[in-house]
Order: sequence, then structure tokens, then C-alpha cells
Amino acid sequence: MEQAGWILDEEQWKAWAGSLPASGCRVIAPARGPRGEAAFTKTDDADQIARGYPGKTQMSPKEFLFPRSETLFEFRLAGNTVTLVRPPRSDNKQVLIGLRPCDAAGLRRLDEVFLQDPADEAYEHRRNQTVVIVEACTEATPSCFCTAVGGSPGGTEGADLHVTRLGGSGRILLRAITQTGSELASAASASWARATEADFAEAGDQAEAVSSSIRRQPLPARTPELLEGSFEAPEWEVVASACIGCGICTYACPSCSCFDIADTGGAACGSRCRSWDSCAFGEFTKHASGHNPRPKQSARYRQRLMHKFAYFPSQHAGQLMCVGCGRCIDLCPAGIDIHQAVLALAGAARAAHRGADEGVPV
Amino acid sequence: MSKVAPAGSGYQTAGEWAPRIVAFTCNWCSYSGADMAGTARLTYPANVRIVRMLCSGRMDPLFALKAFEEGADGVLVSGCHPGDCHYVQGNLYARRRLEIFADLMELLGLDPRRLHFAWVSASEGVKWSELIGRVTRSVLEAGPNGEWLSAPTAEFSSAKLPEPGPPPRTAPTRDANAATTSHLRQLARRLLEEGEVSRVIGYAEGAQSDQMVPAFVETPEDAERLVWNERCYANLANYAVHRSGGATALIAKTCDAKSIAGLLRENQLRRDEVVVVGVSCSGIWHGDRLAAKCYGCDEDVSPLADWTVGPDGTARGSIPAAGRDTSPDPRDAALEALSSLPPDERLAFWQGEFDRCIRCYACRAVCPMCYCDTCITDKHRPQWISAPQSGPGNTSWNVVRAMHLAGRCSDCDECARVCPSGIRLDLINRSLAQGIKRKYGTMVSADPAVKTALTTYRPDDAGRFV
Repeated sequence: MEQAGWILDEEQWKAWAGSLPASGCRVIAPARGPRGEAAFTKTDDADQIARGYPGKTQMSPKEFLFPRSETLFEFRLAGNTVTLVRPPRSDNKQVLIGLRPCDAAGLRRLDEVFLQDPADEAYEHRRNQTVVIVEACTEATPSCFCTAVGGSPGGTEGADLHVTRLGGSGRILLRAITQTGSELASAASASWARATEADFAEAGDQAEAVSSSIRRQPLPARTPELLEGSFEAPEWEVVASACIGCGICTYACPSCSCFDIADTGGAACGSRCRSWDSCAFGEFTKHASGHNPRPKQSARYRQRLMHKFAYFPSQHAGQLMCVGCGRCIDLCPAGIDIHQAVLALAGAARAAHRGADEGVPV
Repeated sequence: MSKVAPAGSGYQTAGEWAPRIVAFTCNWCSYSGADMAGTARLTYPANVRIVRMLCSGRMDPLFALKAFEEGADGVLVSGCHPGDCHYVQGNLYARRRLEIFADLMELLGLDPRRLHFAWVSASEGVKWSELIGRVTRSVLEAGPNGEWLSAPTAEFSSAKLPEPGPPPRTAPTRDANAATTSHLRQLARRLLEEGEVSRVIGYAEGAQSDQMVPAFVETPEDAERLVWNERCYANLANYAVHRSGGATALIAKTCDAKSIAGLLRENQLRRDEVVVVGVSCSGIWHGDRLAAKCYGCDEDVSPLADWTVGPDGTARGSIPAAGRDTSPDPRDAALEALSSLPPDERLAFWQGEFDRCIRCYACRAVCPMCYCDTCITDKHRPQWISAPQSGPGNTSWNVVRAMHLAGRCSDCDECARVCPSGIRLDLINRSLAQGIKRKYGTMVSADPAVKTALTTYRPDDAGRFV
């Protein structure tokens, strides 16, 4: 397929990206958080929108499609009639700008969960309003491992538009990946220079260079099957031994989608609210009877990894539910490294197969 | 709840607004005192709603928070006079706990005119009616309690807090670390070989550079993984709890040893389950910065240690404090800066902090002293702490966490270290600890036999109760 792309200088880029809020879009861009960390924030500031940033944000951008907490509806009882009132929904376009390829891939995983029939209305509405502008990575942080799970620092999955800052030259390669992306750029794109094959090649080389700086070993192709067979493996106790059972990994994760529903109010009126939840919490699976099918932290940690690397892929043509952003590695209070944990489990499962001599191809 | 008072209903109002005050009274004295006011035909403002409880000692700060959250403009707690408690001492515990709660609310910027405490006996109908008049006037002056739910508009963010000064000492040298590590490995190997412990919990190199992670060593050979240096942040005390099959040797810094003492004191650990291996720590470092908690720390490994390991070797028992360079705790300067702000700015600051809370409960998970089977925030009937990850629930969670740790916190600052949103939990903990020290003269002790401040009382404790 012929690629649509333009080469912009920094002025043109800033003029276009910076004008998005004025055109009625709600723009979310990376900014400095209160402690100097990068954080996605709603902004109207053209400088900030166009600036770019090193590395990745501390939290993923998923909260702009799947908020930490949202009211699904309010209910009122008058006489024998129950009235449900949905909170007002904005019809403004939302532009997420500066997402890393892993962030955008994470949103695609959320789509798999929330847009599957029957689609989640609140999510679907927000998703339909959203345009994703991905900015290719110019460097990898020590926790990055997208290449180990099939991603790339120049990846376009989930992107509507894709930006590559071509090495220090001040030139920006802007590519339209989807129709939605082309439409967002269409008003200005006539005045931009078309990108040449050489520009695409340069962007490709740049992504390749970042890729090769990621020194993390790719997961074995049969990871889902290997993990699935390792459910009872003693290694789970080992990899999860330091896990303290907080929810940081799941909340920072761009693809974790679990939530809890809470009703507040009384019989006469109240609201139903959905909030993020985490499989790392003991309460997550606790039954009303008091029985907990995942009584230990190792069982909870196993669930998290199994969901990402075995169950989800088995239902989605082998696609992993981990995009390799490495945020959980950076933030884990106990220093647990998900990539190392999966490798350890897959390795143990493979060794067990060999030991049992079951003839399972590995 | 409508806040417009019907005419002639006995409410005190400011314009159309009639403040609502929730009074928590004990059954035996203050409730009867209010009854006495009624039977004596005394009048007082109708703005107060009474919640009767068995004892003022039952007053959980959460009740006050919930009242504020639900729209109360003021809260009053009233119990029996000291010495008159139906349960002998419930009100004396309440006095300490609520005093510290009031301090916390002051730090968080709640207008002190909204929170009142009193002793009213069953015969003091007159005192009750006067008290309600006074409390109502005070709440009227404070105005409607809108702030609790409003979005934060902080002018003053944590970035503006004063920077810590230069560290009073230098980081340990590579050689010193290597020597300590070597002694530590030797000791771990010996403890495992001789069967004195079944496991040693210490630190090992993590997957990322300069990252030390908890290590669980169960064989003598595996002891080679253990390391010691100034990046061994984690407090490992948590990991010793609920282990079966033999004793656990725990590598502990002074602050961690205090957590172990706390777990022993509160019967979460038995002394024969744990062998405390103290390391002579000269502070932990984040990059080239000494951790705030280490500035003023001049304690050497606590009296609790069974073994002490340092660069010079291994000793049985603890090593007496060697004297260490200290300088003022930088958290105190930050607290001073906060306390110099007017209450509404302080409130905005803290609402801004709590607004970032994502309720991942890492603060709870990492804290050795947070060991409840079911945390109050996980209880649904009733839902004391509202579930949405926003305003009121976030505030309640953070206040309750701090209150549950008040007088028990061993100052390891792990909650502040792990908070992904960087909420200044360390300042809250420090402020409570300093208040307790000032008022009751006690700090959290490394001696498990010494009671914590809020589990004891003195008959002559000072307090805000009138």
C-alpha cells in the first residue's frame, strides 16, 4: 500500500498540532507532572502539545478512554417508577497526542475487551470521539521490552497518525495510518511537502536503531502454550515471592481493563460507578461466602501473567495482552520484572516438558 | 440534605443557610445531658443532629469524615468527664485519639471551627445547651462546608516545598558495602547451615541497574546472592509474617527493626519466628540524595537485633550507637512551610495531593503495620470509604490510613517511596509522630514491650475537650 506521509518542519508541526484545541478538540498531551515525571494531561498550550518528550509517561494514557472512575448512570425512584439518568457525554473530538507505539497498542487491547459485542457504551462513545497520534520512540528506557512481545519503537498499531522526529534535523515525518487520521490532517496537509521513500526509510532505520538498543530477549513463540501448561509449576511461588499485593502494575498498565462496580446512595436515589480494579487484590475474587479461589498472592500474580500471556492470546489469535511498555517494572515497589518472570516460567515449563519427555515441540 | 431552614424552626441561620452539625455523644453522659436540657425546657439551636454511641471511645475519626463528606458543616464529639466513663477509660483513649485526629485535620487545612470536643455529664443540661449555642456560632462563622467536595485549586504544590539541605554524611564506600555484604553472606550461610533459620530474607541485585530487590534465600549456597548497600530501600518486615516451617532471618535497618518491634508488640509475629539481623546502616540514598528519614536518624541498629553486621564484622546482639552526623529532618522544614500557609491554601494543597491518589493501595500493601485481614476500605456494608477514585473517597482513605498508623508508624517511609503519585504521605506520618511526641512524650519504640501512644493514656492528658 502506498504510504501517505508528509515532511513538516518544527514550525509547521507546531502550527498544526497547536491549533487542534482551537478547532474544538480536547487535546491530551504529555506534560511534566507535579514531580517532574511525564504525564498525559489535557492542555491547550501549543508549545506543550508540539514539544515531544523523552522516554515514556509514568502512567499509561488508558484513563482517557477508560477513566479511573466513571458514573455509568444515576437512578431515581419515584412511586413505582425507576428513572435512569445517564451522565452527559461530550461530543467533542478527543485527540491523544504523543502516545508511544506501546501505548497505542495498549488501547487496541482495551478495544478488544470493551468493543466486543455487546460493546461497552461509555467506552465506545469515547473511543469514537478519539484520534490517536503516535510519536515513535527516539530512545528505549531500561524497562522497555516491546520488541520482546512483538511490538516496535516505530510501531503503528492503534495509531491514526504517526509522527517520527527525524534524528535531530528538526524534520518531522507525519504519516496518516487510518482514514480518521487523514481527515484530521486534511485541512492542512495540502500545504505540506510529501514525504519521499528516503524519509520513510530514514524513519525505519531510526526505529531499527532504537529496537536494537533494547537488549531484552524475545519471548518464545509458544509462550501461551508453555504458560498454560505451567499452572501448577512451583516457579510461580518464586517469581511472586516479593509481590506485596498492591495494584500499581495493573493501574499503570496500558492494557489492564478490570473494573469494579459500586452503587452508592440509598433506595430512593443513587448512582452506579465503575472504577479500576486489580487482580492483585485479595478482594478481587473473594466470594460472598468468604471463600477465595485465589487465596495466595502467587495465585493472583499467576492470574495476571496468565491473562496477559496465555488466556487472552488463546482467544485473540495469539496476540499477547502485554505491549512491553515496562511501566509495571519501573513502578513495582518490590522490583518484580514481568519480562523476566514470563521468561522464567516459560523456561521452567520447557524444561519440565523435556524432563517428562512428552514429545511436546518447544 | 436541604440546608434551608424552615421559618420559626429554631435554626440559627446566616441568610438562608442553616448549618448542620452532627454531634456524636456517649450514651451515658452527654446524651443524657442533652435529654436533661430538654426536660429542663432549655432552648438551643436546632442545627444539631445527635448520633448516640455507647462511649466516646467508640468514636472513630471515620465517622467525622463521613459526616463532613455527606455535607455536615460541623462535628461535635461529647463524652463523660474524665474519671466518669461508664467503661472506666474509654473517654481517656478517645481524648488522645481525637486530639491527634484534630491535629491531622488542622494539618490538612480543615477549618478548626468545624470540629469540637466536649465533656458533658448527665446533669449538665445547661452546659449542653450553651455548648450547642457556641458550636453553632462557631460553625456559622466558618461558613458552609463546600471545600470538602470541591476540585483542588492548589496554588501551592509540593514542588514549592523547601528542598532538603546537603546530606550530613557521605554515602558508604564501595569497599564498606562489599565488606558488609561479605559478612552478611557468611552469617546467612551459617544460620542456614546450622538450621537456626529456614530462610533468610534480604536484598539481591534486581534486573535493573542499581536496583535492589527482596531476596528469599533458603539454601546456604544461595546466600551468595545477598548484597548490602545504600540502595536497599525495602522494609522487609512484612515478608516475615505468616510464614510457616521454621524461623526467618530478616535483614533490617533501624527503621525496619522498629517495624519488627511493632509486629511483635501487636502479636503478628512471635519472637522465636524471627532472627533479626541488623545492619549498621548509614542511611539509604536515592541517587545522590540521602532519604529524608535518614537525616535526623542517629540510632544504630536497635536493641532488637540478634546479630549485627557491619563493615568490620559480625557481632551477636546489637552494637551500641556510634554517634552519627545528623542534621534537621527536611520533612520538618516542609511541614513548617505548610503550617505557615492559611488553612484554605493548606486544604487546597492536600486536596491536590489526594486528587492524584489512584487507590492502588501500595501504601497499605507495603506497610508492615497494615496487616488487617479486611481493610476498612474493602468493607462494603456500609461503604465507609467511597469507591470512586476521586475527591471525598481519596481524602477519607488517606486520612484513615494515617490515623490507623498514628502512634504505630515506625517511620520507614516506605509508603511515600512506593506511592506512584508521589503523595507526601511522609509529611503526614511525620507530622502525626511529632505531635504525639510533643504531647505524650513517646516515640515508636524498638522495644516491643513499650506501648504505643494511642493504646494508653494518662489521666491528666491535655486536649481540646472543653
